[in-house]
Amino acid sequence: MSNGISFILNGEKVVSKGKSGDRLLDILRDEFNLTGTKCGCKEGECGACSVLIDGKLANSCMVALGSIVDSEVVTIEGYSRTKRFQVLSDAYAEFSAVQCGFCIPGMVLASEALLSKNPHPNESEIREGISGNLCRCTGYNAIVHAIQTASEKGAGLW
Amino acid sequence: MVILDNGYIPSTLDEALQIRSENKVIPYAGGTDLMIKAENVPYLFLNKLAELQQISVDGDMIRIGAGCTYTSLLDSPITPKVLKEAIRLIAAPAIRNLGTVGGNICNASPKADSALIFYVSDSKLRLCSAKGERILPIEDFYVGRGKTVLQPDELLIEILMPKKYLDNYYYQKVGARQALAISRVAFVGLFGMEDGKITCCSTAYGSVSDTILRFRNLEAILLGKTIAEAKELKDSFLAEYDKAIVPIRGRVSADYRKRVCMNLLEDYLTQNGI
Repeated sequence: MSNGISFILNGEKVVSKGKSGDRLLDILRDEFNLTGTKCGCKEGECGACSVLIDGKLANSCMVALGSIVDSEVVTIEGYSRTKRFQVLSDAYAEFSAVQCGFCIPGMVLASEALLSKNPHPNESEIREGISGNLCRCTGYNAIVHAIQTASEKGAGLW
Repeated sequence: MVILDNGYIPSTLDEALQIRSENKVIPYAGGTDLMIKAENVPYLFLNKLAELQQISVDGDMIRIGAGCTYTSLLDSPITPKVLKEAIRLIAAPAIRNLGTVGGNICNASPKADSALIFYVSDSKLRLCSAKGERILPIEDFYVGRGKTVLQPDELLIEILMPKKYLDNYYYQKVGARQALAISRVAFVGLFGMEDGKITCCSTAYGSVSDTILRFRNLEAILLGKTIAEAKELKDSFLAEYDKAIVPIRGRVSADYRKRVCMNLLEDYLTQNGI
């Protein structure tokens, strides 16, 4: 039997006291107090709980803790320390792409996942990239413009 | 192998099969169906097992590891176009990064969009246990909604997909929205001819009944026929399908499902010159 479940969280090795079947979402929020990861639907529909696992976008509500042993998990708190985040943050601000803000941590990580795979996406690729992230305020257009702008201004970063 | 509080992480397939034979465990592939319930049950974590994540061409067959995620299949040049088209309409990127074709098959939903493609293409499933293996057609794998013949000591290892006839396909998924859409009806048809005669007119229907539907006895009506002969038979062929497809009511009515199935079947025939 192992003593806890270890993984890399925002660049640091951590050991969780959670059970292997616990949702990563709950562990991030309740054990590590990383409340930037939002809990929306708990069924993979809304994307508010999006994180990066080994560089790939994942809904943390759909991830059992036991499936990420030794994986690298990046939440919005970790990502916010990067240059790429700053470019996205500025672009989101420029277009007022944030209203209530609940979807934004997930939306920003979906933006990162998209741009890291496809640094110069066209509009339909952007819409596809954020298609798992629901936003009830903005109507998406401002977010799409923000991502387009970030991909131009952040040329070379992705 | 790593043993967790209530779960196992095997390092090899052999270890996984050994654990499966000695313990009551739930195989965890992508987790996207299991975690909706998030029960504290003993999981056998297969999501990092490289042996289940291979895709390769083997003669006239494509071998797809049960642990291949949708994203990895979209990224692979080997994945047939028809399968990619179905996968592109499954959920959204984050779910496709986790969800696997093996999980989609074993979850045994009649709405399983990737399983539909394996149905129409005569794919077979390779099931392994510590004692040995068996290969069976995907149609024989299902017993009913959510029920399969997978034994408690078995794992689905790979899908064996015949390449023949995959190129000329007709696929339509009818959902209520563009992303994260659950199929209301999904239809796929393959069509092939040799020496002026029809050699393949396979169609499969998802989200219609308790399992995916396919009617080999009705396909036989058109097999061996010329296009001209098939045109003569078209009305009676459609009438037979109209009798055979008995949809159940779900989020949409049975009548609606029936109408959509028949419209799509008719369009599939028309597109193929019948």
